[in-house]
Amino acid sequence: MNGTELLSLAAKFSKIEHLYLKEYQGNIITKKIAVLSSFTTHHLVRVLNLFLYKEDIKAEIYEGGYDGITSEILNTTSNLYEFRPDILIILTHHLDIKDLPAIFSSTEEVNAWLQGKLNYYNNLWKLAMEMEHCQILQTSVVIPLYRQLGNLEANYLFSATNCLHLLNLELIRHRPPNVIFIDMDYIAAAFGKEKWFDDAGYFLSKQGFSLNAAGSVAHTIARMSAAISGKTKKCLVVDLDNTLWGGIIGDDGIEGINLNPNDPLGEAFLAFQRHLILLKERGIILSVCSKNNETIAKQPFVEHPDMRLRLNDFACFIANWEDKATNLKRAAQRLNIGLDSMVFFDDNPAEREIVRRFVPEVEVIEVPEDPALYVRALEKSAAFEWTQLSKEDITRSLSYVTDEKRKELQSQSIDYNSYLKSLEMTAEIGFTSPSELQRFTQLINKSNQFNLRTIRYTEASLEKLRLNKDEWSLFYVSLSDKFSHYGIISAVILQKIKGITFINTWVMSCRVLNRGVEILALNNICAIARAWKSEWLIGEYLPTKKNALVSTLLPDLGFETFETEGVHPSIPEARLFRLKPEIIPDSAHFINIK
Amino acid sequence: MNLMNLMERVQGVFRDVFNDASIEITEETTALDIEEWDSLTHVQLIIALENEFNLKFAIKEIIELNNVGDIISLLETKL
Repeated sequence: MNGTELLSLAAKFSKIEHLYLKEYQGNIITKKIAVLSSFTTHHLVRVLNLFLYKEDIKAEIYEGGYDGITSEILNTTSNLYEFRPDILIILTHHLDIKDLPAIFSSTEEVNAWLQGKLNYYNNLWKLAMEMEHCQILQTSVVIPLYRQLGNLEANYLFSATNCLHLLNLELIRHRPPNVIFIDMDYIAAAFGKEKWFDDAGYFLSKQGFSLNAAGSVAHTIARMSAAISGKTKKCLVVDLDNTLWGGIIGDDGIEGINLNPNDPLGEAFLAFQRHLILLKERGIILSVCSKNNETIAKQPFVEHPDMRLRLNDFACFIANWEDKATNLKRAAQRLNIGLDSMVFFDDNPAEREIVRRFVPEVEVIEVPEDPALYVRALEKSAAFEWTQLSKEDITRSLSYVTDEKRKELQSQSIDYNSYLKSLEMTAEIGFTSPSELQRFTQLINKSNQFNLRTIRYTEASLEKLRLNKDEWSLFYVSLSDKFSHYGIISAVILQKIKGITFINTWVMSCRVLNRGVEILALNNICAIARAWKSEWLIGEYLPTKKNALVSTLLPDLGFETFETEGVHPSIPEARLFRLKPEIIPDSAHFINIK
Repeated sequence: MNLMNLMERVQGVFRDVFNDASIEITEETTALDIEEWDSLTHVQLIIALENEFNLKFAIKEIIELNNVGDIISLLETKL
């Protein structure tokens, strides 16, 4: 949609916004978002509002004053600090930089200039940390279309083109945890820079980029905002026939399907497979959901010489004749992930429609008819926008495969305890140090099911808590068993308040549910409460749509309920529980502690 | 394109931009007649017209647009 259509849609939506909010209030979260830039953001903000709703985010938006980046951040008593955004969007522009190195500047002079710019941004980022829990989304500088030196810009380090590239890189090199970059130069290039820069629009009303590009920008910002809020997609579910290969395996047979590297169509399917392998390598779980006979559907993965994907690339393989909505629910259950973390890719529009209607939580990619455009459709959807990569995510796809082996072992074991014993689990419990902080933060922000209070944190704010050892205690649990190393799978934040120890946060990856990790964690929580000489250990359950799993966790572990009235008047279902920390829970676990 | 037709399409753009399906424009309609016609929506209006008629206006042309009549006659010279 072009900018005009989006703005018109935004205007229409604003008339029914209150009705929409009423209807979907249970799904929608509110985020305070500040937008700072040196150009007009009015139109972008209206379009952004629309895209955020698509992510179930109601935005309370603060627009900084004209040219507000420096002035509002430097002045810690400005309206920005009073507003206290959850997300601060800094939109840069090449015209913000007024002191580019002169022609014939030496490498040293260019470096000195870079250092100056870095200092400037470092200072802004540090000041913004005053606003607790605030995550900065800053755009890279879009390299301008007009060049003083023409093509020669490519040949001298001191050219504006190269200096701006260097600046973008230098900022990445020193990116602190409270900053995430939006690759605006990529967005502009993908949009087409000749259309991106609207000169008349800039001269007339200081439009930083064409209104028609507002959708592309808003899409990425909204996706990143969703990721910051813990809404990320983890799993790509693909169909087989005419999605991974040309033709229908059941009809055409292994000889008949098109995966021919010497045929343009076959090449397109192979390129798509290659892209899926790249996604798997970055930690995305691949699954198959196909209307097929299972044995026949698996044949190409084993026997076809040109297939790039193999069976062990998939964490879950479902091929039967049931409807895909049911099968997607089955896959979610098997993988122990939410339907809302799944993305569905199927060439058949009828299947896509069924999934949209019956499992609306699943994101459905609008697959183009031409397989040459499959990868592009996936890229354009920005389905897998995360705030960070983690080694745990990357080893996960591997460990999903070993899950199958684990299940085999389970079916051989006589009882559950002997099964747990046979897993030969080893755990490590430790106070969170800087090297675990990134994964610790990610786990807290991504966990929806095993999460008692669903409080989200930025890495920077957790670092503050971590250093305040008198009042806070942050520890992690990592686990391995004879099949895989899971890395950090549980995170706990304890708060010392007068005579009590309060469980501020307790999350765990659902993949290790019912393995005894929660008992291990509780033992450690009690030990800390005793060290703090607390009379009571207090835990709280704040219900969300997704954390029913832990609604009885605390009483199941031996906590008693007590009066909660008036504590959370807005959430009547909130429950407080307490436990004497000297009572050591006697439930057994079968995990060796390192 | 005849004048009636052009007027209708411009009216469609106005209704869209100002999100008001009841707007009736004449050649004499100016920013004073439409409450939401300010400098920001003006930019929006210009881009909406550019998108609708698939053309670009020059800065000078944009600044000189004072009423709907100006828009119509400008479009006539460009189409």
